[in-house]
Amino acid sequence: MRYPNGKLALDGVDLTVRAGELVTILGSNGSGKTTLLRCIARLQDPTEGQVLVAGQDLARLNGEALREARLALAMVFQRANLVRRRSVLANVASGTLGRRRTLWTTLGGLPKEELPMARELLRKVGVERLGAQRADTLSGGQAQRAAIARALAQRPKLILADEPVASLDPEAAEEIMHLLRQLAVESGLAVLSVLHQPALAQRYSHRVVGLRDGVVAFDLPADLCGDQEIALLYKDLAA
Amino acid sequence: MSVDGTALDIALRSSRSDAGGEAQPKGRLGRRLLVVLVALIAAGVIAQAFYVVQARPEDLVTGAHGMADLLSRAMPPAWSEFGDILWPTLETIDLAIFGTLFGVLMAAPLAVLAASNVTPARPLYYFARGVIALTRAVPDLVWALLFVTAVGLGPFPGALALSVHSIGMLGRLFSEVIEDMDFGPVEALTLTGASRLQVFTHAVVPGVLPSLLGISLYRFDENLRSSLVLGFVGAGGLGFRLLTAMNLFQYQTVSLLLIATFVLVIAAERGSALLRQQVS
Repeated sequence: MRYPNGKLALDGVDLTVRAGELVTILGSNGSGKTTLLRCIARLQDPTEGQVLVAGQDLARLNGEALREARLALAMVFQRANLVRRRSVLANVASGTLGRRRTLWTTLGGLPKEELPMARELLRKVGVERLGAQRADTLSGGQAQRAAIARALAQRPKLILADEPVASLDPEAAEEIMHLLRQLAVESGLAVLSVLHQPALAQRYSHRVVGLRDGVVAFDLPADLCGDQEIALLYKDLAA
Repeated sequence: MSVDGTALDIALRSSRSDAGGEAQPKGRLGRRLLVVLVALIAAGVIAQAFYVVQARPEDLVTGAHGMADLLSRAMPPAWSEFGDILWPTLETIDLAIFGTLFGVLMAAPLAVLAASNVTPARPLYYFARGVIALTRAVPDLVWALLFVTAVGLGPFPGALALSVHSIGMLGRLFSEVIEDMDFGPVEALTLTGASRLQVFTHAVVPGVLPSLLGISLYRFDENLRSSLVLGFVGAGGLGFRLLTAMNLFQYQTVSLLLIATFVLVIAAERGSALLRQQVS
């Protein structure tokens, strides 16, 4: 993967995330973590290579085929990216738009038959009381939980989480990571997360992948990822 | 690296303060000269403006008698004609409503095409930008003159003029709002597999609607003021009535019309400010 200016962003990244697994990518700023996630989601186009999600190569799809294939993956962003003026419930229900393409939803209506499921997801992520509130009234942790509920409403096989705890306090960060791990283990989802907190990565992930200058520096089970490996990623800062 | 960086930083600061100490008197003199130069240029610009507009303050003094005479003839306002000005008042309000409504209806789709982040195709972007620039560049008064010539006297050419000019003004502001909107929810909904139209109605519209409503209300307020002036070129409403009364030296009617105009403008200003508060 190259940036438009020709600079190499990702090179030879070969990564597999299995169902029921939470894999975390660590790396310093500019190492290519977010670019990798955006390539997988096809928010950016990889210049070479394959992105196989549930057996389909997203890198080769376009238009309607890409839209269909995207149903298998959902993304949780650093900022929750909720529609601020809509209710939390409406935001969660909007996660079902991909499979509810009716005239009503195209005109801006909510898929009413999905609302009970949206309420159930809000309960699952622990914010069931907030369904009627406007999204811009939520705290950072609550908004991120609602964003995870929206991702789940999509019924994905893979969840991509781009720095999901970056703007949260330590307590909320632990809660969100716990929730992501729970989703992987109990719901059998594949979760690929990008983090800046090695301690959280070591504590909650099954595997930790170190990315340095767009290249995989290591790919280890979390319990084998120690301070030495972490130092390898941030050695310029430590020097 | 960090140690080197800190050392370099300290060295730079110290060298800056040394240089500043020596160069201070020269720098201060230079700044003073610059201030004097700017003041002289400003004085020159103001003086030429007075000369070009032939400003004669003494005329204000000699004209005071004429103004007092005009005011005395305008008092009291012709309250008995109150019933007669209701229709032109309604015409003025309706000119603004028509102008704003059709302006919004035409500007909204153009703004989507003219916003670089959501436009479906580059040629459409340039086309929309062109239409917006053209309708905005020509003042509403000129549009009114053109439409009066085309469709005759009355409120309709005025309404058309306000609509066309509003397309340009609203189109530009609308497209700027769309370009500045938070793109996060758009990306989030795109990844749910939603269609482009679904993303538009569920993420773009709720994100920009309050700003668009606020701008439209402000435009209504502007259009109301403009519709008064458009009356002077035959586009109906209070403006047209005011022109007729002035030409016939009916100054008491003029004062009544000015009071009606004042009330209308203040009411529209307060009303649109209140509504803008509600939608923000």
